[in-house]
Amino acid sequence: MTLAELQRKGDYTWEVPEGTTPGMRVPGRIFLSDNLMKFLEPGAIQQVANVATLPGIQKWSLAMPDVHTGYGFPIGGVAAFDATEGVLSPGGVGFDINCGTRLLATTLFKEEIEQRIDRFLTALFQAIPSGLGSKGPLRLSDTELNNVFSNGAKWAVNSGYGDPADLTHCESQGCLDGADPSKVSPLAKKRGKPQLGSLGSGNHFLEIQYVDQIFERKAANLFSLEDGQVCIMLHSGSRGAGHQICTDYLKVFQGASRKYDIKLPDKQLACVPAESPEGRNYFGAMAAAANYAWTNRQMMSFWVRNVVEQKFGATATLVYDVAHNIAKLERHSVGEARKEVYVHRKGATRAFDKDSSYGIGQPVLIPGSMGTASYVLQGTKKAMAASFGSTCHGAGRVLSRKAAKSSLTWKAVTENLKQKHITIKTDHLSAVPEEAPEAYKPIDDVIEVVSKLGISKTVARLVPIGVIKG
Amino acid sequence: MLKYEFVEHTADLTFKACGRDLNRVFENAAEALESTLVMLEDVALRETTTIEMTSDSWEDLLYDWLTELLVTFEVNRFAVKKCIVNVVGLSLSAECWGERIDPNRHTLNTEVKAVTYHNLQIKKNNVYHAEITLDV
Repeated sequence: MTLAELQRKGDYTWEVPEGTTPGMRVPGRIFLSDNLMKFLEPGAIQQVANVATLPGIQKWSLAMPDVHTGYGFPIGGVAAFDATEGVLSPGGVGFDINCGTRLLATTLFKEEIEQRIDRFLTALFQAIPSGLGSKGPLRLSDTELNNVFSNGAKWAVNSGYGDPADLTHCESQGCLDGADPSKVSPLAKKRGKPQLGSLGSGNHFLEIQYVDQIFERKAANLFSLEDGQVCIMLHSGSRGAGHQICTDYLKVFQGASRKYDIKLPDKQLACVPAESPEGRNYFGAMAAAANYAWTNRQMMSFWVRNVVEQKFGATATLVYDVAHNIAKLERHSVGEARKEVYVHRKGATRAFDKDSSYGIGQPVLIPGSMGTASYVLQGTKKAMAASFGSTCHGAGRVLSRKAAKSSLTWKAVTENLKQKHITIKTDHLSAVPEEAPEAYKPIDDVIEVVSKLGISKTVARLVPIGVIKG
Repeated sequence: MLKYEFVEHTADLTFKACGRDLNRVFENAAEALESTLVMLEDVALRETTTIEMTSDSWEDLLYDWLTELLVTFEVNRFAVKKCIVNVVGLSLSAECWGERIDPNRHTLNTEVKAVTYHNLQIKKNNVYHAEITLDV
């Protein structure tokens, strides 16, 4: 697969024509600027083409500008499958089911905390468990864990971890319908039980940020964001529970794909008809993991708020919470018809043009790489037409973890952050280079594409001053 | 012949494990996984645990084996430093030596979310080669 096989369809749209790979049912579309083309890997184009071969796919196999090679689906991939004739694929969701981002806006301003950033960061670091295999402070019973799987963030709010208003500011109100804890394996429950309320490791983080620039005043006002305001961004997912659910169902789907006679170009693309028993079971388990992740982020927000209140006498409200690894049943226009489809977003964020709590396009939270800006965007009508109401999810990697580790040292990376007046806390200094800004595409370039293309509107730019790296 | 080596993969961590027979490939793949999770130099051979399983193909067996080691690490907090694997047909039995993780003595490396099927393959030329991608 080479770049030469791509056809330019617009300033920011490149098409992977049907026929590029045998069995493609629809063309692929990759959203990129000329600047970002140099990062596009042949493997990622192949993965966009492979996804286009899956039964029931609608319109296009899409890739957002933060695209890079994943396993099965590319990261940054979006694909919608007919709800009755299409498939569900765990590889189109990923192992970290409902990995996502949450933003809290505090009543503090940058100048109030600048001199106390170390204390602030240390308090947050102590309040929120992070790192490899990190465990939460709760000891849940089996019944409580099942409640988490069934009810998501609602369970957390009912148990005292937050405010009922928080639920209105979560994608899907922090609870995906159709969750079925009985479809979650005992092993997934065992892995998930001790970890609820923990950040995890890898690219998961908590950042203290401030609003550096506002582009859309009205939307920013509605989202309660103003210049210089201090915000807290959280990036985490469904921990071991989600990882094991994906592992379990990939295994089930290997055999089931053969049973339903689905030809796969890559084992990691294993899928089954959405309406089959295996498909329904996976959706029940996947939704349970999604609910676990919303609960997880809700609980961490509670501890963030405690710190903000106790250390500064300030408060923090939830701006929004988005999922960027998920499959959801949604209605979209396909040709003249409105159709129910399972939209798979793997490293892509929902960007609907209407959010019931704000009355305008939904807030979309896009974290940059460690030490670079993050963005708050807004969903648009164009996204509904061009990308099944989806946009990018972050900067997107360009350097492998191996390459990042061999070309950068943790000392150099932390020194670089220090020069930008960013403080970092982690239990895991040796892994810092893996998440260095150099390992990622420039976030500003990614945002330029989604904004120029019109699949999102830029509302605000947030700059970090403190980072907790998981 | 290297026991294992890590190769470039943008999103995740891919390694190749080699061995003169399947047993060695499985043992070397286990070491590659465990070394990703923890600094193995600090792990002592204090306890043993036994793992047994049967799968549908060699590749599935390797996927299940590594997944079991990952779960053993995460749930039981047990790091495996050495193992003796015996593959017969599509069944595996293994004796694993290592110890429980002590945050004061052990240096944890990278959290592995899962073993993937991405390009998962076992090939035999002169020796056996396996390629495995971990989601991290």
